[in-house]
Amino acid sequence: MTIEQFSNASLIVAWILYTLSFFTFVITITGKKWGHGKPEQFEQKWKRRSIAITIAGLIAQISFFITRWIYAGHIPTSNMFEFLTFLTMMITAAFIVVFFIYKSAVIGVFAMPLIVLFLSYAAVFPWEAKPLVPSLNSHWLKIHVTTAAAGEAFFAIGFAAGLMYLIRTINFQDKSKSGRRQVRWLEITLFVVLCMFGFVIMTFGFGAANYEAVFEQEVLDESGEEPQRVTNTVTYTLPPIFKPHNSEVISMDSFIGMKQPLFETPSWMQGVNSGRKLNTFIWSVIGGLVLYGLFRLILRKPIGAAIQPVLKDIKADDLDEISYRAISIGFPLFSLGALVFAMIWAQQAWGRFWGWDPKEVWALITWLFYSAYLHLRLSRGWHGIKSSWLAVIGFVIVLITLIFVNLVIAGLHSYAGV
Amino acid sequence: MTGLKKYRKQIQIAILSVVLIIGLYTIGSSLFAEKDSFPQAGEKAPDFTLRGLDGELHQLSDYHGQAVLLNFWGTFCPPCVDETPLLQQYYEQYKDQGLVILGVNLNESTVTVQGFVRQFSVTYPILLDKEQVRKQYGVNQFPTTFFISPDGMIVEKWIGELREHHLKPRVERLVPRKDDTA
Amino acid sequence: MIENTKCECGHQNAVGTILCEYCGKPLHDEDSDLPLEMRYDGVARRSQRSSKSIIDRVWRFFSSVKVAVYLIVITLVLAILGTIFPQENMLININYAEYYKKNYGVIGQIYHFLGLSHTYETWWFRGLLFMIGTSLVICSLDRVLPLYRALSNQAVKKHPKFISRQKVTLERELPAEPSKWIDQFGQALKKKRYRVVQEDDALLAEKNRFSRWGPYVNHIGLIIFLLAALMRLIIPGWQYEQYVPILEGDTVKIEGTPYYLKNEQFTIEFHEPDAEGNVVPRLFRTQAVLYECVDNCDGVDEPVLEVVKEHAIEVNSPLEHDGLAFYQYNYNYTPIIRSMEVKLEHVETGEVYGTFPLRTNDPEAMYEVGPYEIELRHYLPDFTYENGEPATKSKNPNAPAFIFLIKGPGLPQEGNIHIYFPIPDDQIRFQQDRVNEAAGSQFRMSVGDMENVEIAMYTSYLNIKSNKGMTFIWIGSAIFIIGLVMGFYWHHRRIWVRIDDGRLLLGAHTNKNWFGLRKEVSEALKITGIEVEASSLDNGRNLT
Repeated sequence: MTIEQFSNASLIVAWILYTLSFFTFVITITGKKWGHGKPEQFEQKWKRRSIAITIAGLIAQISFFITRWIYAGHIPTSNMFEFLTFLTMMITAAFIVVFFIYKSAVIGVFAMPLIVLFLSYAAVFPWEAKPLVPSLNSHWLKIHVTTAAAGEAFFAIGFAAGLMYLIRTINFQDKSKSGRRQVRWLEITLFVVLCMFGFVIMTFGFGAANYEAVFEQEVLDESGEEPQRVTNTVTYTLPPIFKPHNSEVISMDSFIGMKQPLFETPSWMQGVNSGRKLNTFIWSVIGGLVLYGLFRLILRKPIGAAIQPVLKDIKADDLDEISYRAISIGFPLFSLGALVFAMIWAQQAWGRFWGWDPKEVWALITWLFYSAYLHLRLSRGWHGIKSSWLAVIGFVIVLITLIFVNLVIAGLHSYAGV
Repeated sequence: MTGLKKYRKQIQIAILSVVLIIGLYTIGSSLFAEKDSFPQAGEKAPDFTLRGLDGELHQLSDYHGQAVLLNFWGTFCPPCVDETPLLQQYYEQYKDQGLVILGVNLNESTVTVQGFVRQFSVTYPILLDKEQVRKQYGVNQFPTTFFISPDGMIVEKWIGELREHHLKPRVERLVPRKDDTA
Repeated sequence: MIENTKCECGHQNAVGTILCEYCGKPLHDEDSDLPLEMRYDGVARRSQRSSKSIIDRVWRFFSSVKVAVYLIVITLVLAILGTIFPQENMLININYAEYYKKNYGVIGQIYHFLGLSHTYETWWFRGLLFMIGTSLVICSLDRVLPLYRALSNQAVKKHPKFISRQKVTLERELPAEPSKWIDQFGQALKKKRYRVVQEDDALLAEKNRFSRWGPYVNHIGLIIFLLAALMRLIIPGWQYEQYVPILEGDTVKIEGTPYYLKNEQFTIEFHEPDAEGNVVPRLFRTQAVLYECVDNCDGVDEPVLEVVKEHAIEVNSPLEHDGLAFYQYNYNYTPIIRSMEVKLEHVETGEVYGTFPLRTNDPEAMYEVGPYEIELRHYLPDFTYENGEPATKSKNPNAPAFIFLIKGPGLPQEGNIHIYFPIPDDQIRFQQDRVNEAAGSQFRMSVGDMENVEIAMYTSYLNIKSNKGMTFIWIGSAIFIIGLVMGFYWHHRRIWVRIDDGRLLLGAHTNKNWFGLRKEVSEALKITGIEVEASSLDNGRNLT
């Protein structure tokens, strides 16, 4: 077994343990009703088991991280796969910290799926360790990425607790206009989370089946002095609902009778691989819809309403405070990592500490948003529901910064590939 | 504390005025940021000193009272090469009426410039510029010729090759009349 | 309107005070039993005093947290809009209006028209940042002084209403003798690093007060940062940027400074090729020497230079001197002959007369080789024929041609013309030997070995920036982070106790982390023999 194989195996072990700990956390909460013996003892016992499994998972992931560092020769935070696995590791660590402060198993029920989702999402990106180009070879870059990820991990916990608060307190029986709106938005949030699961399942499903469709696309390359017509080959790993703009099918595996792409990507969608990204997006939505539909069919009520009883043992105020607390811990880390260290690195690498690069702007947007959140916490009427919504939106902005900006808006920070 | 209270109003005004000044600077910095600072027609031609091919120092202000054609050129630029005989012809024709042509070479090897001058029998002063005056005058396309009046004002900035019908009216307008100086 | 602002304890409060600055008695809604609004300890702020002058109105506007949040949100939204399409500074040499119209249609045109294509340089965006800065200053000033006053002048014995309306409260019969119990409780709190003050049958315990100054410290840091950023914009020379290509071996003047920079050598190293054969560069390095001009600096004659510093410039390691920094930006493969050692020999006998050095950049005019005097009559670095005349296409020695006039023994009085192309391809292309034969030259010029040729391989592109003012940027950032850490990782906690007729009244307040405070209070109480669940200390009537 090479060190690389050992490293990758450790990551898979971590994934399995995280998934397992999610189920044990669920058993901790739901099982005490039907378990034998005293409910408190049952809860204590399973809580200990669950957190032990989580910690074991973290140790597996740390061993992945260290071994990868050894064989790649640099800290593994330099492409999307490495960064997302690192972020997952930080979220797990942040969760463990919060768990030991508040000793609440319920947070695990929400944090663990988030962790599993992130790790699965990371696994979609190419796993190879690539050598570093000179501008990425700096100590400040490593410090910047790791500190920023630590801050974002606490924002993730803030998001999980905020979402729990919403599910815990929203009245699903409220038929007033504002009550229905709350329910609707909560369901949309849960649907978006399911879309991400859908994306991961689709990618792995079709990946396992070795699905492939290849297109030849003609584009106008304007990067040189004279615009040139260039032919690109675009490979899809998901069946093409949308083919690339202005392209021809070279080869295409058929999928449940689908032998031709259904639509063409509109021309205004600019950028490299916009067709593939749109197609992937559509598949994620389909996956999300299927999952959501299935859940609704089985549960016969809004998903939030179905989860609500799980949360009745934890006080809403505590959730509100956990969310606020996690964000308060994350904010200085984020400011330091995503702004100050980023500026030091940018100054060193490019000679300007701030260049209004899209990624920098989005880091600033995230920071401004959480500053607004923290200032609003000082005011009356911005605790509880509103504050929890802000915690949810804030993390959406974090995700946009981390993923969307990298994949859609190209800039200096963009990781190559995918 | 009571001391502070007494001057509270003044302190407040002081803080707000400082803030106001900083505000004006902030907004001003973006409003007036992109002003072109290169010499334009209607402005005074900035003075400079360069070593000539003849080994002498030439200063623009030395030619005060004479009409000056400040011609930026290089041997590598075909339109520059093409207009050289015409410039030479006008120089010979009008130099007694107070016309000077200063050929500012764009940082080429001295031997190259010397060879070219010999090849085309150029007699007007050729100045060797190490990018300094070119940058000072903001010249990016070649040839570029500045028409400078005897009182040192830029009358026109001409980009591209000068032909007979461009040059004649401009030179005649520019040179001081013989009768005036006599 | 005259408002009586004197509290029953005798303290004279300022207009706008919510809680008596001294004893804490609520001055307005005395009959309610909802938890108190404890922000800034209920003291009056400058902005709350009634006045209608313009200055007070401006002051009041900027001192409002609500306004600050609005400013932040507006800035945030505009910043998002700025990332929809590429900003102008990401595009090179393009007619911007044309670009946005062509690529994004009508929306692109509107985007450009509104100035969103250079959002972050517009007067309105800068104006917003300025307003945020103003709000930082005024908000902080408006709060920090009254807060300081309130915290440095606290009564130990607070009004019962004040204590019972805290978010964390406890009221019960004391199990022990009051003064003994209070001593014990005070000891327990001291162990938890509280500063404890006792007075009669009352107690005030407080810790981490410095955490309250965190927000003001971080605001000071931000203000320094913003001012430093502004200074760089408005002070000439503080923000300076240019890109300079330097060929290996060349020395170039750094415009606007007394400095010259020489590129001694450029190195590029690669990683091992991966499985698909892609090579990724590992390192770019310009071995650079910085010179300062000490004489003839007016650009008229050859300047006199003195070495200031030598440094290997790499991507993350600029050369820095006197506020200027030279960054590795890019490179180009531009192989070019710099100089060579030319051998002069007889074309038929092969007799070698000697060698002479020949540069491709500003070569010397006169050479002496053996008995011969060689004059370089013309030099055409990029040789071509233009209308049948020899000419040069550019300044770069891509196809250098040297036209010599050789005089000496056995040659005509006026000398012999000889043309020399150092590059073998050019010799054939321009028929060097036939031209020389026709001119009657009896010489041959050659370089022989490649060792005699000096070639520059790369042009290194350096980005030169002024680092002036960066110190303040970093100082501001550091203060900002220190402030955040103070404010977020420590929590100001206070516990008030008073005992009236053997009945304990306890209240506690913190600005963050109520969970931790309740836990701490319940632990301290436990030591004194009062067992309470931490969660039951919660007043239960939140300010939501």
